[in-house]
Amino acid sequence: MLVMRPAQMADLTEVQRLAVDSPVGVTSLPDDSGRLREKIAASEASFAAEVSFNGEESYFFVLEDSASGRLVGCSGIVASAGYSEPFYSFRNETFVHNSRELKIHNKIHVLSLCHDLTGNSLLTSFYVEQPLVNTAWSDLNSRARLLFLASHPERFADAVVVEIVGYSDDAGDSPFWDAVGRNFFDMNYTEAERLCGLKSRTFLAELMPHYPIYVPLLPDEAQEAMGQVHPRAQISFDILMREGFETDHYIDIFDGGPTLHARTSGIRSIAQSRVVPVHISSAEPREPIKGGRPYLISNGQLQDFRAIVAELDWAPGKPVTLSVAAAEALGVGEGVSVRLVAV
Amino acid sequence: MIVRPVRSTDLPALFQLARSTGAGLTTLPANEERLAHRVGWAEKTFRGEAARGDADYLFVLEDDNGEVVGISAVAGAVGLREPWYNYRVGLTVSASQELNIHRQIPTLFLANDLTGNSELCSLFLRSDQRSGLNGRLLSKARFLFIAEFRELFGDKVIAEMRGMSDEQGRSPFWECLGRHFFRMEFSQADYLTGVGNKAFIAELMPKFPLYTCFLSEDARNTIGRVHPDTEPALAMLKGEGFSYQGYVDIFDAGPAIEAQTAKIRAIHDSQVLVLAIGTPGDDAPRLLIHNRKREDCRITVAAARLAAGTLVVDAQTAKRLQLSAGDQVRAVAVSARG
Repeated sequence: MLVMRPAQMADLTEVQRLAVDSPVGVTSLPDDSGRLREKIAASEASFAAEVSFNGEESYFFVLEDSASGRLVGCSGIVASAGYSEPFYSFRNETFVHNSRELKIHNKIHVLSLCHDLTGNSLLTSFYVEQPLVNTAWSDLNSRARLLFLASHPERFADAVVVEIVGYSDDAGDSPFWDAVGRNFFDMNYTEAERLCGLKSRTFLAELMPHYPIYVPLLPDEAQEAMGQVHPRAQISFDILMREGFETDHYIDIFDGGPTLHARTSGIRSIAQSRVVPVHISSAEPREPIKGGRPYLISNGQLQDFRAIVAELDWAPGKPVTLSVAAAEALGVGEGVSVRLVAV
Repeated sequence: MIVRPVRSTDLPALFQLARSTGAGLTTLPANEERLAHRVGWAEKTFRGEAARGDADYLFVLEDDNGEVVGISAVAGAVGLREPWYNYRVGLTVSASQELNIHRQIPTLFLANDLTGNSELCSLFLRSDQRSGLNGRLLSKARFLFIAEFRELFGDKVIAEMRGMSDEQGRSPFWECLGRHFFRMEFSQADYLTGVGNKAFIAELMPKFPLYTCFLSEDARNTIGRVHPDTEPALAMLKGEGFSYQGYVDIFDAGPAIEAQTAKIRAIHDSQVLVLAIGTPGDDAPRLLIHNRKREDCRITVAAARLAAGTLVVDAQTAKRLQLSAGDQVRAVAVSARG
């Protein structure tokens, strides 16, 4: 069974294996054991901390095959984007240049460097192994975070953002980067993203153009790359779009990938999840449950947070019947409440 | 040849001239109504009836048969009635010692910095007359006039030089930048500014600074560069002390050059002398000579010899200036080494 749980320092080697395969644009998963060690340590401290409002915490989850102990995915949440340093985005803006006399009405698209999203909670570090793409396990890997957020609202902001990795070609070149950032850095996209992972993103963002950029002046390839999703990030994008995240307002300052945002309370997995008491079925069903459908189920805990996918035949207002294995994976007993939402 | 203020009777000749200029001379549009309006203003200006912000000293170059073959003008002050726009070519530095990055990105800032300065403009000489000293007379006559009536002009004089364009009149800078914002041809934008319709610039221009790295290489290369045909004019004004201080035209990125009025050679070196009629001699230098008048201003270039506070010229020159022996003139050598 695949179980989502908080990462521990013992996971370091496995996490690094995932990080190596992660696309270069996922700078929250650098292929650097020092940075990953810090990331896990920060996460352990965050799960352990008593928190009454969102601050510098960052939570890092791993998806583990409980039979083999192998990690097959990971994801994270930063409680406050740009807590200790500004969080940069390009905001899409429209200016109308109008001359009544000449009957010219010209809409000009402009990208403005902004800190609008600072302080929002940030979904990061999404990675699943290839065989899990387009399965319920991808949903678990992404949305278990949202169930965690639903159970611990005091730890998070009332809006959530996520930067989706933007388009780059097989050679690792990003047309948006080549047209914009490269002028200011004199390095290629892969190198810049690698530096972002190793140092801070803000560190590099401070070198970015601070005056707004007139989009019509950018080459066509760069304009087309704005808001475009890297093929490997499509799965993460699709899951979050189904959750009700909005696109179009902000893009990533490096690769032009879309930055999604949503009110926390309006996110589907948060708004539609239900907390229900558990009934444990002693009889292990041999056949798929009749009338069942897959659900994400979390135990609502903090350091002992667990989430799984299970086929359930559940009706709202009723207790949920879990198999012994599912209850064990979640670490819950009879009568304890779990949070669940349909996949 | 003499330079004198324009008169309304010059209108037919001016219209012929305007039609032969093509694109690039924003202050001489081929529009009869506008030209008539402009000549009217120039006449008021020479009579002393225009405020400095409206003053338009429009001169013509007239040959000895009374035919008008060229024009030149000085605006008393730019930007006092409508905003005057240039791009200032500034610099943005993107640098990090730790990352070993140091990038210099020239950046264009929309500015009204040149507001209030006097402007040399509208220089045009018919192509069959571009020989000898005609061009220098037509252009530099303005300096003698400014020297004589210093209080009518600003502390700085500027000149916007025609920028780069190809044989079809296409400006790479305009194609890359202006076209996106104005949605019209360069020649049309040029015409609209020429006829004084400048409000549209403010309405349509990009208001934020522009990083030149977002322009095409072609466009970047034209910033601050003059059209090859304008090189001689640029060299001449540089010889008078004008220099490029980083301001360029917002349409074609041609340089706006400038000089402190008092330091312009032909102004600074000019002197007031008493006219004498005689034989200057074969080796006499060529001087620009002004009869010191405003409405009846006449300026010419002639061989002249300085002798004990008098300026000896031949009778023909005195006649061109409409002066007699004993009258005062203001004179200066045509060129620094002339």
